[in-house]
Amino acid sequence: MMVSVKFESVTKILGQSRAVDNLSLDIGAGELFFLLGPSGCGKTTALRTVAGFYTPDEGRILFNGQDQSRVPPHKRNTGMVFQNYALWPHMDVRSNVAYGLKMRRVSQVDKDKRVRHALEIVHMQAYAERMPNQLSGGQQQRVALARALVIEPDVVLLDEPLSNLDAKLRVEMRTQIKDIHRKIGRTMIYVTHDQAEALSMADRIAVMRRGRLVQVGTPHELYTRPESAFVAEFIGGTNLLRGTLEEVGDLLTVKTQAGIVRGKNGVKGMARGEPVFCSVRPESLRLKPAPASSSIPPSDATNELIAEVQSIMYLGDNELYSLRLADSTIVRAIEHNPTTRKAEVGDRLALEFGAQAVVVLPQEELGD
Amino acid sequence: MTSWLRRYDLNPANAALLIFLWVFFIVFMLYPLGYVFSNAFFTSEGFSLVFMKLLFSSPNNTIILANSVNLGLAVTLFTTLLSLPLALLLVRYNFPGKGLLNGLILIPLVLPPFVGAIGMRQLLARFGSINLLLLQLGVINQPIDWLGGGSFWGVVILETLHLYPIMYLNLAAALANVDPSLEEAARNMGASSFKLFKTVTFPLMLPGYFAGAIIVFIWSFTDLGTPLVFEYREVVAVQIFNMVTDLHQNPMGYAFVVVVIALTLFFFYLSKRILGGGSYEMLGRGHVASAARPASVAITVIAYAVVLGISALALIPHLGVLLTSVTSRWFLSVLPSEYTIQFYKNVFSHDLALLSIKNSLLLSSLSTIIDIVLGITIAYLLARKRVPGRSVLDALAMLPLALPGLVLAFGYVAAFSATPLDARVNPVPLLVIAYAVRRLPYMVRAAYAGFQQTSIALEEAAINLGASPMKTLYQITMPLIFANLIAGAVLSFSFAMLEVSDSLILASKESYYPITKAIYALLGRIADGPYIASAMGILGLLLLAGSLFIAGRFFGRRMGELFRA
Repeated sequence: MMVSVKFESVTKILGQSRAVDNLSLDIGAGELFFLLGPSGCGKTTALRTVAGFYTPDEGRILFNGQDQSRVPPHKRNTGMVFQNYALWPHMDVRSNVAYGLKMRRVSQVDKDKRVRHALEIVHMQAYAERMPNQLSGGQQQRVALARALVIEPDVVLLDEPLSNLDAKLRVEMRTQIKDIHRKIGRTMIYVTHDQAEALSMADRIAVMRRGRLVQVGTPHELYTRPESAFVAEFIGGTNLLRGTLEEVGDLLTVKTQAGIVRGKNGVKGMARGEPVFCSVRPESLRLKPAPASSSIPPSDATNELIAEVQSIMYLGDNELYSLRLADSTIVRAIEHNPTTRKAEVGDRLALEFGAQAVVVLPQEELGD
Repeated sequence: MTSWLRRYDLNPANAALLIFLWVFFIVFMLYPLGYVFSNAFFTSEGFSLVFMKLLFSSPNNTIILANSVNLGLAVTLFTTLLSLPLALLLVRYNFPGKGLLNGLILIPLVLPPFVGAIGMRQLLARFGSINLLLLQLGVINQPIDWLGGGSFWGVVILETLHLYPIMYLNLAAALANVDPSLEEAARNMGASSFKLFKTVTFPLMLPGYFAGAIIVFIWSFTDLGTPLVFEYREVVAVQIFNMVTDLHQNPMGYAFVVVVIALTLFFFYLSKRILGGGSYEMLGRGHVASAARPASVAITVIAYAVVLGISALALIPHLGVLLTSVTSRWFLSVLPSEYTIQFYKNVFSHDLALLSIKNSLLLSSLSTIIDIVLGITIAYLLARKRVPGRSVLDALAMLPLALPGLVLAFGYVAAFSATPLDARVNPVPLLVIAYAVRRLPYMVRAAYAGFQQTSIALEEAAINLGASPMKTLYQITMPLIFANLIAGAVLSFSFAMLEVSDSLILASKESYYPITKAIYALLGRIADGPYIASAMGILGLLLLAGSLFIAGRFFGRRMGELFRA
């Protein structure tokens, strides 16, 4: 069955802090939904509230409109994949996977069939007799996934499932999990602090910070239209230029110490004179030789700032430049497929970027 | 629900368990102690220090106190001298057979000094083996009075040989805890080996050392069996033992017990001050690489010599017991002239011996069952639930480690006299409870360690898949901590079998005598008494060694943690 999950003003207090603070979310039936944020942002707490390990102090959790807040965890029919897999070391793979079916008193024949099928989905059918300690991390991870899927849960909950795997395997498993989601079509809620994981897999992402929801949207929306400097910085990484909003209109004009920056995009409701950040992604910056005279007024559609090269890092498929603007702000620029080096450390360059690439955001304190 | 309550996992079941535990601790630990205090400080006219004044003003009593303190200090000093080289050699060097030597060091722990005392008496008597051997070798031409001077040194030697493993465990743990990089830093600054030990290693070891020293001190200060067997009566423990019988006429017993409690508390306060200072917390460890390095041949030889030598020393008393138990004729010769296994047969035919074995099996089984139930419950609440008064519960469960059996037993006799639990009518209930309380910390620690090693996610995974909390406990948690429970139960059982001071004080009638009291009673009988007692001692010793071996298999290297404060 496809189940939608609704957080209705959920607050959970752990110790002295509001681990989840007035969180409202609508997760559609069959969606692969991500909870993303730095560690300690409350994403795992939110997930455990769905599983029923925590009872909300305020608000409700609803599955298909039915209040679940007082339903004990073993009666919720969620399938959770734990961060450290939590495979029972005293049971072999088959017994681990069959456990939930045993609890549901599924007949022996049916149970065998479903366990086999679940192990096939995760490509572990050959390991049914193994004990968990005879499996590699990636294999344990897949057994944990099979164990959660075999009960045909209303919601699959994944708590940083890939964080204990090495980098290469992690990328492989992204595709596998996404495939499994497509195959079984169940609602999945996936917690991670890895923004690349979220961007590459999610239908939609909720970004959390300090227990609160910051922004919800598709990966594309979050990347191209962040609504706060925190999201712009956290997802993908960006350059933030500090300035004051001068003109509000079709284009937003910002005066920075390094020069005027015009932006096409911004958060609604900002007033003239407000302190703002201009967010420009490193890949939007183009490096050009500096013009002879230093004060060329930028055209409407293009911005140009003068900068001095601080360091250059060669990474093969691209080159990462670190540059200093006139106001000492350090910005990063990426040059793709570098064939010949465009500049040396100490050179003065012009940074060119379109107004389309600029998002103007209210200033805020950054960090977790 | 108030926000204060919401911080806790208090469902009706947890609350009921908690209340049950509190009632148990209040009735069987706090009330008896409180009773002793009130009798020591309250006369019919209200609060009074008259008994305390009496205690400290009588020269006789001050000598007794001084004897006990000296005994404790001497044993602490000698155990330190024996264990420090052992710890340095075994923690700092790797050599073949190190594990074996490590095990060898722990053996004396399984040999109750009370039993060893029987053998020691035989060896150190005026015309005992040692004197005879020395006379034969011509080293001396007159027997030395080893046990003279009130047998003080005999008691010190036996307790030292029994307790040095505890000191060793604490020192070794303390040494292993010293971050090697701190020592490397001192080396880097140019400290020589000796300077390094003096200025860095030893100061960092001090908290661990004090933890061990305090256990050893309190243990020897309150040991009842050894001085009794040596007939060294001028110590606090024996005085208290004698005063149990006329407790209602003579309140001095209460005063003595209060002094013991006060001293115990003082030392534990001191240790908390030293240990809790916090400033010695190891700040961020770079690499926790073992500081052990391969030993040269010379060091290996030294290590073997030291360990084997000390172990041989520690085994001498028990060798004496063993010889006594198989002797049919041993008179004015170094070794017995005729051997027999008759006394082992007698153990199983002699009325008192046989009865006491049956009694001990029953009492220890019952106390172990209580320990299992209480231990699992307490460990579960501590490890898995946020309950109010958590730290107090923890402290109460661990208190018996610090609480001398002597004090507890005295408190029981006093507080429950003329109640249905009166030990002089039927000591079985109080014996069972005393054994259970005394060994509860082992069980709690064993179970707690099990809960801690078992990630809570394993339980949550089961609940998430539809198992009820009860099912989770049976199918997931219990199987995973089973080894710990067995180990804890084995330890509780075997120590209960050889519990000395509570048995001596509480078992009032011969028909209820457990093994240890029967041994003591048999020692006092002429004819074959001491021989049967020795045979029983050897059997008890084998039991304890066997069960520690089993427990060690389960616990592995963590075994030592059970004997630390």
